[in-house]
Amino acid sequence: MRAVFGLGWMCLLPLAAAVPAPDAWVPVRWPWAEARSLDLLESSPVNCLLLKSWTPELIAAAQKRGVVPLAVIAPGSDAVATAKQALSASVGGLVLEGDFADETTTAIRQAAGSAVVIELTARNRMALGSAAPILGTYQGLWPGISDEHANAHSAGPSGSTWIDTNTGFLRAARVWGTSTVWIANQPPAHTVITTSRYLQAIADAAMSGARWVLALDTDFSSRLAQRDADAVASWRRISALLSYYESHPEWRALREYGKLAVIQDPAKGGLVSGGILDMIAVKHTPVIPVPRQRLGPGALDGATMAVNIDADSLTPEQKEILRNFTRSGGALLTGPPGWKDSTPPGERITLDKAELDRLNDIWRDVNSMIGRRNLGVRLFNVSSMLSNVMASADEKTEIVQLVNYSDYPVENVTVHFLGSYKRATLLTPEGAEKKLDIYSTEEGSGVDIDKVGVCATIRLEP
Amino acid sequence: MTRREWIALISAAPLVKLSAAAAGAPAAPVAIAKCSTYDEDVTAHLGTMFDQLGGLEKLVRNKTVTVKINMTGSPGTRFQGRAPALTHYVHPKLIGSAAYLMGRAGAKRIRFVESSWASAGPLEDAMLDSGWNVRQLLSAAAGVEFENTNALGKGKRYARFKVPGSPYMYPAYDLNHAYEETDVFVSFAKLKNHATCGVTLSLKNCFGILPASIYGDSAGADEPNESPVDGRLRVGHEGKRQPSKSAPQELHFGANHDPGYRVPHIVADLSAARPIDLAIIDGVETIAGGEGPWIQGLRLAKPGVLLAGLNPVCTDAVSMAVMGYSPRATRGTAPFQTCDNTLLLSEGHGVGTTDVSRIDVRGVSIEKAVYRFDSHA
Repeated sequence: MRAVFGLGWMCLLPLAAAVPAPDAWVPVRWPWAEARSLDLLESSPVNCLLLKSWTPELIAAAQKRGVVPLAVIAPGSDAVATAKQALSASVGGLVLEGDFADETTTAIRQAAGSAVVIELTARNRMALGSAAPILGTYQGLWPGISDEHANAHSAGPSGSTWIDTNTGFLRAARVWGTSTVWIANQPPAHTVITTSRYLQAIADAAMSGARWVLALDTDFSSRLAQRDADAVASWRRISALLSYYESHPEWRALREYGKLAVIQDPAKGGLVSGGILDMIAVKHTPVIPVPRQRLGPGALDGATMAVNIDADSLTPEQKEILRNFTRSGGALLTGPPGWKDSTPPGERITLDKAELDRLNDIWRDVNSMIGRRNLGVRLFNVSSMLSNVMASADEKTEIVQLVNYSDYPVENVTVHFLGSYKRATLLTPEGAEKKLDIYSTEEGSGVDIDKVGVCATIRLEP
Repeated sequence: MTRREWIALISAAPLVKLSAAAAGAPAAPVAIAKCSTYDEDVTAHLGTMFDQLGGLEKLVRNKTVTVKINMTGSPGTRFQGRAPALTHYVHPKLIGSAAYLMGRAGAKRIRFVESSWASAGPLEDAMLDSGWNVRQLLSAAAGVEFENTNALGKGKRYARFKVPGSPYMYPAYDLNHAYEETDVFVSFAKLKNHATCGVTLSLKNCFGILPASIYGDSAGADEPNESPVDGRLRVGHEGKRQPSKSAPQELHFGANHDPGYRVPHIVADLSAARPIDLAIIDGVETIAGGEGPWIQGLRLAKPGVLLAGLNPVCTDAVSMAVMGYSPRATRGTAPFQTCDNTLLLSEGHGVGTTDVSRIDVRGVSIEKAVYRFDSHA
């Protein structure tokens, strides 16, 4: 009898769920303090909560679910004390959001001991190349078709779509190492955010192997708190898209692939949005960002074209690497003498008109050099989309990520890729994997896709 | 629209004093078919219409056929995110059907041409960027080819086309070789308005045969620029510069900078210099209020109609009647509020008549096909 009671008691014990490793954290800014709010995480891959305020009840309930609660600490005179208070409440780690004085960061890290401390800094203060498991920034564009360009009436027949994106920055940041990159920008205030825009924000980061820290606008979060049916349906769509990307962790291990390399210093415009990397992305040309500091032997392996944005910064050894690149048949485009890329001052992460005009000087040459060449993959009928091409270390498996930023599905997308592959598979959040017919093209092979909703992935295998 | 209303409409046009050439301008039959969506059997519709015009075979058997299709503007510029073929481009299903029917009628070679926006790259690229299945088009018939005529393309020299009689704007035009190396020239256009010319039909479609390498803003001053990167605004629309000196120069350069005068006159010149043997007009799904997504006040339109004719002026005249306009309307009257009437100018060159009463309309009547573009706001 006692044994039976004992078993029953055991069944009632809150079983501590396994805690995921930081690189598997799927983060959300959690706006609620009630433990029952966690019911929303049912069937959601979200497993990491960023909390500006916390209660013991919420922290315990999260940990019971295997969800990691992180306390968000803002800069200020009480930052260290707040961090200590959070740690004493048994949070799973700290998020330092904003730009802290170095001594404050050091003090908080000391107080944290072995607990994870994630820094969400300005882009230009990110510890690129560090051993941090997660590198993050609070600065980002709200992805989508640019309002400035969305009204096609203002454009002429040439008016091509410009898409605000963080992809160029994310690729430039990710190339520094193995840290998982978080982008923690929030939805614009006083704006109606449709579900599609949330999906685009998730996909914009995920297609570059990064994670957007999900952040709900106030209207959505209040409707969701009341379990409004439409809001719950939107939440389910968001969760389903997160699940799509999270069910393929292998994609995050892939690296950017392409025949074009852009050598750029992160301190000199390499981390802006709307810069040269995003301009190339809008042309759907696969590109490998090479930080100027990482331009060493082997950095340009596989590339047939290179753009050197800021030639004056290179060391003699790096200049020799570029000379060897051209001697071996590579095409090199160098910025005009005296041309320097710039980083916008202050909190700005995009270029102003004068800076863009200046950038256009080199962009015209880049555009001319790229032309319509296939530098890894060529995509057609993708004007409302952005893409990213990644490959396994042996370059045998290639992944083409597509994200559609329009509110309409796009039909009849064509993909031409270099070389020949035996298998091409279409993966989408909406359905099962679909085998694609591969046909020959002048450049190699091609596949056709009937329809792309918010996103799609093509996997090419030998 | 009742027959009485329609007669009142086309009779309301101001009287136009016809030149001798216009008075004797030829008339040719025009076929109309109702087709409410592209999911219908468009091949059957086109086949019936070609039969109503006397059959394709006698026009194309053992011939090279060059088809100028309407793909105005960049494929990336969309109206409400829709595929260009549902708004301002001709639909690829119709293109494929036409190729199939021409092939079946014995055409030796079917070459689809367009001067792709701001590019000298392969036309296939623009088609793929528009969501078209190029492989399907290639398999529609034997001998299907594509050429971007915005520059030399696959040719070695430009072909010169002299404007017969009294040219309006240029004595002759230098064009891609495809317009010369052909036995039959087809203009495959969209039924829509045009901000500069009032309507885009089979005549205006051929403004796009001008290579931007010579007539573009980035054309070379002396020789063609084989890598054009923009449109024809400064040469064609505004008359602010001459085409490359390698080509015949504008007759009265500097005399007129009004696009509403210049473009219709150039188009009329072209219709005389490079005659159109067959005009086909896609009015199944289109736009009203302008020619492309960059025009303000654009709206979707579903006239559900196809037209074809052996004379471009006659075909456009009937098309205008279907759109609810008088084909003989003059400047100041819709749809020519700010421009000259290209049809009348072509008629002035003796290309064809705008007098609908002289045109034998076959298939569906105009009254039954009418879709008034200015009323469907």
